[in-house]
Amino acid sequence: MSPTAEKGPDRIPDVLIVGAGASGAVAAKRLAEGGFDVVCLEQGGWPDYKKARAPFPDYELTSGRDWAWDPNARQVPADYPVDDSESDITALMWNGVGGGTVVFAAQWQRNMPSDFQVRSLDGIADDWPFTYEDLEPYYVRVERDWGVSGLAGDTAFPGGDGPPMPPVPLGRMGRRVAKAHNDLGWHWWPGPNAIATQRYGRLNPCTQRATCLWGCSEGAKASVDRTYWPVAVERGVTLLTGARVKRLIVGSDGLVTGALYVDRDGNEHVQQAAVTILACNGIGTPRLLLLSATSAQPHGLGNSSGLVGKRLMMHPFGTVVGLFDDDLDSWQGAWGQHIHSLEFYETDPSRGFVRGAKWGLQPTGGPLSMTHSYPWGEENAIWGPAFHQQLRKRLGRSAMWGIIAEDLPEESNRVVLDPVKKDDSGIPAARIQYRMSENSRRLMAFHQERAKESLEAAGAYETVIAPFIRATGWHLLGTAMMGSDPSRSVVDPWGRVYDVPNLYIFDGSTWPTSAGMNPTATIAAVALRGVDHLIAERRDARTSS
Amino acid sequence: MTSALARFDPGRRAALEAVANLLIPSGDGMPSASEAGVAGRWLDEVLRLRPDFGPPLAAVLDGLIGTDPEVALARLRSTDPAGFGVLAEVVAGGYFLNPKVRSAINYPGQQSVAIVPEQPPDYEQDGLIASVIARGPIYRPTPGRKRDR
Repeated sequence: MSPTAEKGPDRIPDVLIVGAGASGAVAAKRLAEGGFDVVCLEQGGWPDYKKARAPFPDYELTSGRDWAWDPNARQVPADYPVDDSESDITALMWNGVGGGTVVFAAQWQRNMPSDFQVRSLDGIADDWPFTYEDLEPYYVRVERDWGVSGLAGDTAFPGGDGPPMPPVPLGRMGRRVAKAHNDLGWHWWPGPNAIATQRYGRLNPCTQRATCLWGCSEGAKASVDRTYWPVAVERGVTLLTGARVKRLIVGSDGLVTGALYVDRDGNEHVQQAAVTILACNGIGTPRLLLLSATSAQPHGLGNSSGLVGKRLMMHPFGTVVGLFDDDLDSWQGAWGQHIHSLEFYETDPSRGFVRGAKWGLQPTGGPLSMTHSYPWGEENAIWGPAFHQQLRKRLGRSAMWGIIAEDLPEESNRVVLDPVKKDDSGIPAARIQYRMSENSRRLMAFHQERAKESLEAAGAYETVIAPFIRATGWHLLGTAMMGSDPSRSVVDPWGRVYDVPNLYIFDGSTWPTSAGMNPTATIAAVALRGVDHLIAERRDARTSS
Repeated sequence: MTSALARFDPGRRAALEAVANLLIPSGDGMPSASEAGVAGRWLDEVLRLRPDFGPPLAAVLDGLIGTDPEVALARLRSTDPAGFGVLAEVVAGGYFLNPKVRSAINYPGQQSVAIVPEQPPDYEQDGLIASVIARGPIYRPTPGRKRDR
């Protein structure tokens, strides 16, 4: 059976999902299991893993061609422009079946309990309308559905069930840094990853080629195009690719009746549904709400709070590299993370900033990566008489911490419609306005210094703090805030849009705060919690009608 | 010959060779960029794989022809970082496609290495994880709840 339908069904399904990334996949599969008739519209296509070149000599050279993360650089028909000229960070995404999970590093991080309670604990921003304990059962379920490897008992989290597969090996570099952290008395734990370490459902075991970010050629990385979507389609979900939604259609009663979409030939179609779910990421979802303004909701659909598009959070990202005398085999392994550390995650007011960051220990890549200005820095440029000596120092003998910094929600950081630029379907593009805060700058500087100390304690004879670069906006959060107060939030604690009762948002747009974690685990768990609630509500409605 | 390759006549290739050897000179038993063929066979291969590099590389090389390579390269780095980035990627990309170079730096490519479960697992060896557990939980619990360990 082909997993792609060429045109939409004539029937009116129970649920329309816009976007086939992480949250759309979780919703589609769960709804299909619950007996719901589902159609999903996805503007991109299926990933072409024939272009995943890990086993070949040209891998490093071609990975940036076929697996680029920046839609403005990639410019394939599935992409829409994102004007980032007024942003400190460039938004990265993958528009296609699987969404960002196709190119994510698969670092699978639950949020910690404090992430849901930053107002109560740190006196800043907003609490989430539920707790870690409320979400914990959903983490457990998605980790089993998804195919996650790791180890239960992490001392940075409450107890409970862990992932279904054992963790990826620490490897030589992981063991070295783990021992150093033990000497320092600092936290570390085997890295949780959405990477199969054994055969698991549709996933093959990881072969440690360290190419997770550029198309996993082995079928070991748990991206939802490999895990959820084939199951959802088998269970009857209709997934339409090349279907770009132009706007949602709103009836006279204020409910959404479906979506107007454009196919790759430029033909417009209407897909009706009883319920619509947006799963388009923190830029695509507010863009679509703003595009769907009506005379009754002239500032954007669901925007009576005025918060649609605002509070954009993208996680400033830092990297610190250590150079070691020993061969650490550091072009191989999961990428992914071998270990993570949450030692400095929690707020400590004496540091001069609030909140913190998560660290993930990663490989550094093959020889071509050793020549790049990131993470090595222009001041350490490899070119010239010292080229061969520098190459030998770096290749296989380096390890790096990737640092995910929590950024706080600010209404001035936002997504708006571009007044000029349009995508190739003639739909206004997105524009992002984002400035990194002083809190983020202080936070990052502190963490970079501690990460340097970590690598030095592990025996690094030299460390490099990577320069700040803009192209790190993998995590797009906060632009349709969830909360219990309709005047100060776009969606309720279950993802339902306050102003439009049959419209739901299940992607990272709904996050009240950003945490300092890779977000996919929590996006998936929150989506599952929301869709479970939606199913229960609709069953009640059917029973009572 | 593809259109991308057609753009690279001997004049441009000579210009590439001159600056490429400044980026990757010979030494430490390793060949220079030109000795490794980055302006010849491996340029053809790079452009076959990355035809998108063709136009910006041609523009960069046209600016280098007839100039002192060292001066021109320094100017390119300071005034056109994107152009320099393409030039550097073509030179290093071609260099590392050469199997002799890969062999000399002991880089076999991204190898398939099966995960073989160790007993005990590596995180348990030498008391590694026991030390973390002994230090106890580090998270702040949800208000109103106690740490459960």
